[in-house]
Amino acid sequence: MGDTLKTLLMIAWLLPLFGFAVEILWGPRGDRRTTRWPAWMAVACIGSGFLCSLSALLIWGSGTDWAVLQSHDSHDAGHAAPSDTHHEGVEPQEHPAHESAQQNPIRPTAPVRANDAARWHLTTAADGHASDAHQNAHTAAGHTDSPSDSAASSHGQVPLVYHGTIYRLAAFGSLILSIDYYIDSLTLVMFTMVTLIATCIHLFAIGYMSDELTDEYVDHFVHTSDGGHLHRQGRFYRFFAFLSLFCFSMLGLVLAGNIFQVFIFWELVGICSYLLIGFYTERHSASTAANKAFIMNRVGDFGFLIGLMVIWTWFGTFQFSDLFASLPRDDAGRVVTGEYGEVALALPDGSSKQIPYTLLVVAGLGVFAGCIGKSAQFPLQTWLPDAMEGPTPVSALVHSATMVAAGVYLTGRFYPMFVPEVLLVIAYIGAVTLFLAATIAVVATDIKKVLAYSTISQLGYMVLGLGVFGWAAGLFHLITHAFFKSLMFLCSGSVIHGCHHEQEMTRMGGLRHRMPITAFTMLVGVIAIAGLSIPGLIAFSGYHSKDAIVATALAFIQANPGHFLLFLLPLLTAGITAFYMFRLWFMTFAGEPRDAHVYDHAHESPWIMTLPLLILAPLAAFCATGGEDGLLYRLLAGSEPNYVAAGVSSTASGLTLPGHHAIHEVHSTAGTWALVAAIAGTLLAWVLYGTKAVRVEDMKRQMAGLHRFLTHKWYFDELYDALFVQPVHQVARFFAWIDRTLIDGIVHFAARLTVLASRWDRLFDELFIDGLVNLVGRATFSVGRSFHVVQTGRLRQYVMFIVVGVVALFAVLFTTFPR
Amino acid sequence: MFSQLIQNLIDHTVETSLGYFQAELWLCGTIVVLLLARLFSLDRLLPGNVLALAGSVTAVFAAWSQLETVQAEPGFSETFFTGLMIQDLFSVYFRLFLALFLVLTVALTILSGIPDGEDAPDFYTLLLGATIGMMIMAGANNLLMLFIGVEMASVPSYAMVGFLKGRRTSSEAALKYVVYGAGAAGVMLYGISLIAGVLGTGDMSLLADRIRIVAEGGVAGLGDAEVRLVVLGVMLVLVGLAFKLSLVPFHFWCPDAFEGASAEVGGFLSVASKAGAFALLVRFAVSLSGPSSAALMSAFGIGLGVIAMVTMTFGNLAAYGQSNMKRLLAYSTIAHAGYMLMAVSAMLVMQNSPQAGALGQEINACIGGLLYYLAVYLFMNLGAFAVVALIRNYTFTEEISSYAGLGRQNPVLAVCMLFCLVSLVGIPPFGGFFAKLMIFGSVYKAGDLHWSMYLLLAVGGLNTVFSLVYYLRVLKVMFIEERPADSRPIRLPSLERAYVSLLGAFVLLLGCAPLLADGLTLLAGEAANSVFSAAVTSR
Repeated sequence: MGDTLKTLLMIAWLLPLFGFAVEILWGPRGDRRTTRWPAWMAVACIGSGFLCSLSALLIWGSGTDWAVLQSHDSHDAGHAAPSDTHHEGVEPQEHPAHESAQQNPIRPTAPVRANDAARWHLTTAADGHASDAHQNAHTAAGHTDSPSDSAASSHGQVPLVYHGTIYRLAAFGSLILSIDYYIDSLTLVMFTMVTLIATCIHLFAIGYMSDELTDEYVDHFVHTSDGGHLHRQGRFYRFFAFLSLFCFSMLGLVLAGNIFQVFIFWELVGICSYLLIGFYTERHSASTAANKAFIMNRVGDFGFLIGLMVIWTWFGTFQFSDLFASLPRDDAGRVVTGEYGEVALALPDGSSKQIPYTLLVVAGLGVFAGCIGKSAQFPLQTWLPDAMEGPTPVSALVHSATMVAAGVYLTGRFYPMFVPEVLLVIAYIGAVTLFLAATIAVVATDIKKVLAYSTISQLGYMVLGLGVFGWAAGLFHLITHAFFKSLMFLCSGSVIHGCHHEQEMTRMGGLRHRMPITAFTMLVGVIAIAGLSIPGLIAFSGYHSKDAIVATALAFIQANPGHFLLFLLPLLTAGITAFYMFRLWFMTFAGEPRDAHVYDHAHESPWIMTLPLLILAPLAAFCATGGEDGLLYRLLAGSEPNYVAAGVSSTASGLTLPGHHAIHEVHSTAGTWALVAAIAGTLLAWVLYGTKAVRVEDMKRQMAGLHRFLTHKWYFDELYDALFVQPVHQVARFFAWIDRTLIDGIVHFAARLTVLASRWDRLFDELFIDGLVNLVGRATFSVGRSFHVVQTGRLRQYVMFIVVGVVALFAVLFTTFPR
Repeated sequence: MFSQLIQNLIDHTVETSLGYFQAELWLCGTIVVLLLARLFSLDRLLPGNVLALAGSVTAVFAAWSQLETVQAEPGFSETFFTGLMIQDLFSVYFRLFLALFLVLTVALTILSGIPDGEDAPDFYTLLLGATIGMMIMAGANNLLMLFIGVEMASVPSYAMVGFLKGRRTSSEAALKYVVYGAGAAGVMLYGISLIAGVLGTGDMSLLADRIRIVAEGGVAGLGDAEVRLVVLGVMLVLVGLAFKLSLVPFHFWCPDAFEGASAEVGGFLSVASKAGAFALLVRFAVSLSGPSSAALMSAFGIGLGVIAMVTMTFGNLAAYGQSNMKRLLAYSTIAHAGYMLMAVSAMLVMQNSPQAGALGQEINACIGGLLYYLAVYLFMNLGAFAVVALIRNYTFTEEISSYAGLGRQNPVLAVCMLFCLVSLVGIPPFGGFFAKLMIFGSVYKAGDLHWSMYLLLAVGGLNTVFSLVYYLRVLKVMFIEERPADSRPIRLPSLERAYVSLLGAFVLLLGCAPLLADGLTLLAGEAANSVFSAAVTSR
């Protein structure tokens, strides 16, 4: 099975690369510029990728008899296990029907596994052999000789993981860089999600980007010096080529089996993001936004590199499986530390090594710094709103659903390497981000900017969820968010397209009459993200996933009361989220038209743009149906690191990380609170923007200070400008001055001196050296010439020379040869 | 009993000798078919060039299969045709080399259209015949075969040089070549008769042993009258070979013949006949080397070193003033013969030193280097001549000045020429550099044994600098000068472009593709090894 999965996912991964190559090489020639074939090519590639991913998921599921789904509810899995030694809680027994299936060791805590796990070990071992054989074939072909391919069940990290090496790039001493794969249910779900959303967005983009299908594209946002607009050739093919490249990079990131490979594709998605943000490269705002995104990501990547260095220095490997196995954890999931706070690593080559605990923290924080940059978390969040300069499909795909979620994905993937202190930092970063971004979203008037801040805020939720030990909750929200946020971005794209590139909500209103499909699907997305539900009857995806996070946060602060902000902020923000999302919907689609011109020209988008909306809307609404008993959550939770379920109590730093049981106990409480907050936010939005009861302008005037603070995005850009940009400018100016006066002076003096010296030198050269060289040259040349004298062309003479030569050789021979 | 003897001879011939001789036989067969086709006026149906190409490709396969078998058996060495010829990896290497080269030459003649359909059977008969002669030279184990081989290679060459019938220079060149060759052949035959007369055998594998018997006290020196005769004979044979190799002072025919002959023939002669002559020289020198003749052969080695110095210096300096590209390449050929002779010289000095036993590896490396050099030389020299031939077809001239501005007008051709010439100079990424490096390395090692080898090395290095001048002059004309507006444009068909690109690519790859270069080095080393192992076993 491992081989099948690997092949399918590799096809899904490499097809977009192929598409990219074809589009970028064949696209720009001749009349192909103005045809839609690059788009269909890209759709075909990513669509086939989706089919491959989906079938991989299904194969994986049927291969495991959907064991992850049958396994008992996550929160009591650890309890009902026969030999639960470390968690003496009351067994809730809520789902007795599942009791037998619960024996299945798919999510075993460490001590449980021994006997029940045998079956799975057999399965995976057999597959491991198959892939081993495959691996050997590779070895024979000279690709790699690393025998690392094996199913990872041996150390019981995760239930069903396939990992191995696809291609070995290079080996520097013991440092081996390779393209690996690491396939578990998280990988499969991510693949399916990414390819599905990407397919929808590709389709949408065919409509959205159709104005590029011309040789004479007029960019109304670029003013030329003569007062006109920029005219340029259309770049339809290029857009789809970049999208394809992005899909390849993103899928490579998800498939990656080692942290270095993640880094490679991390940078690749970064460059794709750069290219796509700056797609309208002539617009000054677009090119600076692209630069900003790229540079701010580099700040995070600097941390990432430091993390990589620590990992390489101490662990000597980049492979996930080896890394996870190296870090010793006791039965309770605590990282085992020695007397002086050192950790004895069990390295893959069998040896042991002591690593200071602080370095583990540094490694974790370093890698997470990369995630901060990529997922636009505080304090590197400012690039994402600016990234909205890219075309809207890009915002939907790259800057909401997939790439920015890559940081969260990596945090989840690398989870076993994060020690509790790092998790706490992660939690706080997430909490601060989600609150901060949500407050800014409240005052934003650009429809895409609202969504951008909402994305940051929701990413903060995910990060918070992961930080407070809700591994599955965080990733659960990642998937649901991907669906409803891409939906909302596409809706906003549809609005922008329908309103002829008008993005200001203050000029919209009442558009639901003009574009009913967009309005309706947007409403679905808004309800989903707001987390509204009618308990017991219907609940959209956002309700479930946000609930999971809030519940985890509540459990966390119950165990660690000092960190109450970690619950308070997300709860508050749940309300704010509902408020600003409904504000967006009311301002755009409800009420009276604010600008008659915009309203009169608005129209519903063509079918190719509304079709993806109609595909995504049900997914956004119902992908999480069943909540934590549902398909999606179970699939994800199947990949959860095994010590998470039971929770970790009283770590070295005094934190208690809540287990599933603790979370479940507070679930309904948290859910109620969150729902109340959401409903409150919704009502407030309705009151302010749905009815005319309160004049928003008056409120703005009354809270002018707060409003200014928020519209200036908490003055982060100004702060960074003052903290980093201006000092750098100052220093640069200073050095420029030094350069110009001091260095240049010396250089000029030296130059003048050199010129003087070289004048003399030249004289010397010309008279003496050249004379000598010319003499030698002329001499050899004339010697060469003189050989012509012998070469007379007279035959008689030639024959004479034979005789002369032979006789001369005789003479030499008899005088010199030994007697 | 006599009939038994005859029967044995026939059996051996049929079972062994003909098998070893199959590459040559295929070529012979091709010649017969060529002539028959001409006789029965089938040459419209079966064009001569196609037949020749088919025949030479078959010969390549025959030689290749021999290489496979011989390589499978390290140290394999067996005489055939009653000891006249020898089959070992060395001779098979040359057979393959020559057959491959023949294919390339035939391909070039097909592309460049010389000869025309009328003359094709004649021309290819001569070409194939000369190649057979060279193959015989490479496999000769008897002084008689040595002579037959040389003559069989030479006589068709004379005719080929004069093949451009209408042209006066061509006929003149052929005449000079014939007369000069006849003189050299006479000298060589005289030398052979002296050697065979004194030593009582023509079998080369027995020569060293016989010298020991003839020499008084087991150490051969000039004081001994009989040894003196042998040494004279050896020298005369060497003069004959020096003619084939166009070593100074027996090189006079070379520039005239090359200028008169078409560039295709020039390319063929400069590579193939040189390769055959070097094979023969190595065999001859090795066969004479023995414990008793060590001092003499060492002196010969140093003597060859001196000739090498003179030859390359002369060749390089004389090339300076040339305005005709073929003449320039003729002098370049002379100079390269000098470089390659360095390897033989170093080999003789090392093999005949008291430390020969310990130096086995280095001795081997000399000949390995020579073989590698020849292989690279094949591509770079043929490449240069091919470019000359192809340009001639458009401009009808071979003057260097007519190449002005080709770099811009026909980059493929010019870049291939660049590869070939730069490789001829011996500049790193190209094969010529590594070939030269190997030979210079061997000479450096030999320097421990005799100081003159260091001198040889220094002169070799200096000559590399000399050679830079005239090769770069051609490149300067091609790349820097403007193409005159009234000159005829050169637009090569893709097949011709592919041909020169192939040669250029090989020149580059032999230098920088480790797989190819290492494989060739290994093969050359093995082939070199087989010469010495044969000499050792026969001793």
